Amino acid sequence: MKKFWTTCRTHFALIVVGTVFLWSCVAIALYRAAESPPGAIVLRIGHWQLEASVREALEQMAEEYRKIHPNVHIVQDAIPEMVYGQWTTTQLLGGTAPDILQVGLGQLPYHLWVQYYNRYCVPLTAHVNDPNPYNEGTGLEGVPLRSTFKDGMRSSYIEEMQEYVSIPLSQFGVRVFYNRDLLKRLTGLDEAPTEYRAFLAACEEIKKHTNERGQPYIPIAGSRYHLPMWEDMLFNPLTYGIKRLADFNRDGFVGNDELFVAIKTGRIDFQHPSIRLRFRMLREITDHFQEGYTGLTRDEAVFLFAQERAVFMSTGTWDARSLQEQAEDRFEVGVMDFPRPTRDDPVYGDVMEGPQYERVMGGFPFAIIRTSEHHGQALDFLLFLAGQEQNEELNRIIGWIPSVVGTELDPLLSAFEPHLEGVYGNFQINLGGETWVRWLQLYTLYQVNQISYDDMVATFEPFYKERGMTDLAEQQKDWRRAMHNNEQFLAGFRAEALLSKGDEALSNWIRYRTLTTSRQIWPEINRARQVRLLEKGPDLDAVGPYEYSPAVVDRVKERLKREMAGS
Amino acid sequence: MIISENRRPRVSFFMFLVLGLLLVFGCAEPQMEGTPEEVLERAWKYYALGEFNAAIGEFTLLKEAVLPDDPFYAQALYGLGTTWNLRRPRNDPDTAREYYLAVLEHRPGGELAAYSLLALARMKHLVPVGQDPDYDEVRDAYRRVVDQFPDHPAGHEAFIYLQSTHVATLDPDHARKAIHALRDFMARYPDTGFISAAWSLKAIAYDTLGDPDNKLTAEIMAFKTEEVDPQNPFHDNAWRYWSIAVVAEFDAGDFETARTYYRRLIEEYPTDIRKYSATQALERMDEKEAHLRAHIAAQDKGGAP
Repeated sequence: MKKFWTTCRTHFALIVVGTVFLWSCVAIALYRAAESPPGAIVLRIGHWQLEASVREALEQMAEEYRKIHPNVHIVQDAIPEMVYGQWTTTQLLGGTAPDILQVGLGQLPYHLWVQYYNRYCVPLTAHVNDPNPYNEGTGLEGVPLRSTFKDGMRSSYIEEMQEYVSIPLSQFGVRVFYNRDLLKRLTGLDEAPTEYRAFLAACEEIKKHTNERGQPYIPIAGSRYHLPMWEDMLFNPLTYGIKRLADFNRDGFVGNDELFVAIKTGRIDFQHPSIRLRFRMLREITDHFQEGYTGLTRDEAVFLFAQERAVFMSTGTWDARSLQEQAEDRFEVGVMDFPRPTRDDPVYGDVMEGPQYERVMGGFPFAIIRTSEHHGQALDFLLFLAGQEQNEELNRIIGWIPSVVGTELDPLLSAFEPHLEGVYGNFQINLGGETWVRWLQLYTLYQVNQISYDDMVATFEPFYKERGMTDLAEQQKDWRRAMHNNEQFLAGFRAEALLSKGDEALSNWIRYRTLTTSRQIWPEINRARQVRLLEKGPDLDAVGPYEYSPAVVDRVKERLKREMAGS
Repeated sequence: MIISENRRPRVSFFMFLVLGLLLVFGCAEPQMEGTPEEVLERAWKYYALGEFNAAIGEFTLLKEAVLPDDPFYAQALYGLGTTWNLRRPRNDPDTAREYYLAVLEHRPGGELAAYSLLALARMKHLVPVGQDPDYDEVRDAYRRVVDQFPDHPAGHEAFIYLQSTHVATLDPDHARKAIHALRDFMARYPDTGFISAAWSLKAIAYDTLGDPDNKLTAEIMAFKTEEVDPQNPFHDNAWRYWSIAVVAEFDAGDFETARTYYRRLIEEYPTDIRKYSATQALERMDEKEAHLRAHIAAQDKGGAP
């Protein structure tokens, strides 16, 4: 006995580890058995949404699904976002991935996702033109699946594969959330002002007040996570007008190469109203953020808002439900659009041409994994979640916007209705390399008001003009690398076309030719045009890209003369 | 276990036998699983999934399982050539070239010979990152494909690549040469799958020559002759509409055509990012025309010029 206790003492740590291990094995085995009774079909669904409402919603929808398919059990693998990329990679490579997987997390580069889609996901193209059976009896009965989504399943289509690979279950957007009660108490306003000047005035008023502890109220809770939302939705649209001077290829956008050429050749500079005012607005708005916001994380800003220290905070639909829950019984959460200046604003009126354009893109996308033993059942469950009524219910529970057309959404989220017509930013300063590093350094100083706009420009502009060409040339090397990659997958397409017959062959050859033209022919020509633009610059005597040349004016005039004479 | 002295030779014999059998079966050539069609399909599947070693394994099995005069032999050679050419990392251009040449030797007039010759031309065109192709050599290589397979899709593809090398110079002489060649090609092969690409190349060549009317016509024809995949419902023409409209508005001064295509963009793609710009364009043209009409009317009345 003594020997036994001696052994136990000596190997105590080992025994503890062993016991815990055994216990966990038994616990997992019992848990799995409870999840999947013998003979049942178990569908595992992997995602990175740890919000309680998402797990609860999927759980409830699984219950609903089981009423129709009693033998199907859904098991969730909710994985923290921070490790989701590694987890996905490991599971896919190891052949142990769930049957249904949330895809597209930005943590993994896009080209890697394309490889994963190609290798591990079941293409859904064959199903996108079929009606969703779960839409029977609704307004979407008989409508092709892809047309039942607000984004037409555009986000699910992987051009590199020419296939649809996922089904989007929600839609996302970004707006400004605010504490209605606090706003009323501090400013007397019932609704948050969506006009820029009135918004700034409200912020000024908020700043004058302190709470019962003597702490000043913060108008806007900000952080390095939140700033890009203000940049995208409010500041960058001011640079839309650059297009008229620098969109040399008239594709509707100003590329980083075009902006560089325009600045280098003096067609525009950093004092152009669109650019200067973009930075002025940043200063005016961020002056109402809490001090040192660039060093703070998302959670710290959310904490300020939840603790009723701040009135406004920008965030997305994904936070709507949790903010509501945090505010419950304490204050009412409101949602407003970003406060835009009007066209008669004395400062911004000339450059603020409209609201920020927002692309309707489905999110919360799920793909079916090839290793699944139940492809059909997995697809059926996804179609169930994409049914009009079910999608509305799923998103109602989560607090997100449904991805399916004709669905109703939470009144709180009505402010998230996207702006389908509007302007967009054209200030693409990123050339990579040293110019980008220098820009980030200076821009960070500007954000925290340690450097003026003029000082920032005086330091950056000469460096950008001098070094930009080198950095751009380095960045453009990727062009030829992409051609090699394209050639590789095109050879696969060609082989598929050669081996197929009938309609399938016709379709495959069209895909092959379309991709050959778009991926291997135009890039070389576009590249030649870009090189010419960089080397020779634009014709400075010529009119701007969106101005009429004298020859065009003469043509139009001649036609009008003929028309007027005829009438 | 203790083995008696007299049993040792028998044990040794059996051990040698087992080892010998293991050696024989271990070193035996792997057998091809399935029909040649199945193996070929599997090999290309591996290729598409980036499993290049497995693809080479399957292509090699196929090559060794069929006779050289069997069509699958050339298929295997072509597959090996393609995989060694395009696999990354560890591509081997020399080995790839040998396989492509072997296809040309075994089936000189066949479909795969056409694609092998095209692949050899592409190898000259797609040089490593940081290098520039020798365009004279590249053009000669494409010409060989066109000359040997003028009616084959691979020949048409080579022709389009060949003309693209001229058009991409943005040089008026090359542009004229390309327009001439493309015109002949389109007359000879009006139903080729590359007809839309040919029109697009012509549009760029006319742009180089500063000929806006022909450029606009070519842009419109490129759109009208574009192939639509019956199995792929997703076909986004928004950029084409935009492209035609801006050429019509700013290069050709053809406001009616511009209006047509701006409106098509707005109506058919109401969520497209360029919708706002297209709406602005319609207003801009109306304003310009109103201004010019007033100007003309004033001139007619003998007013301000």
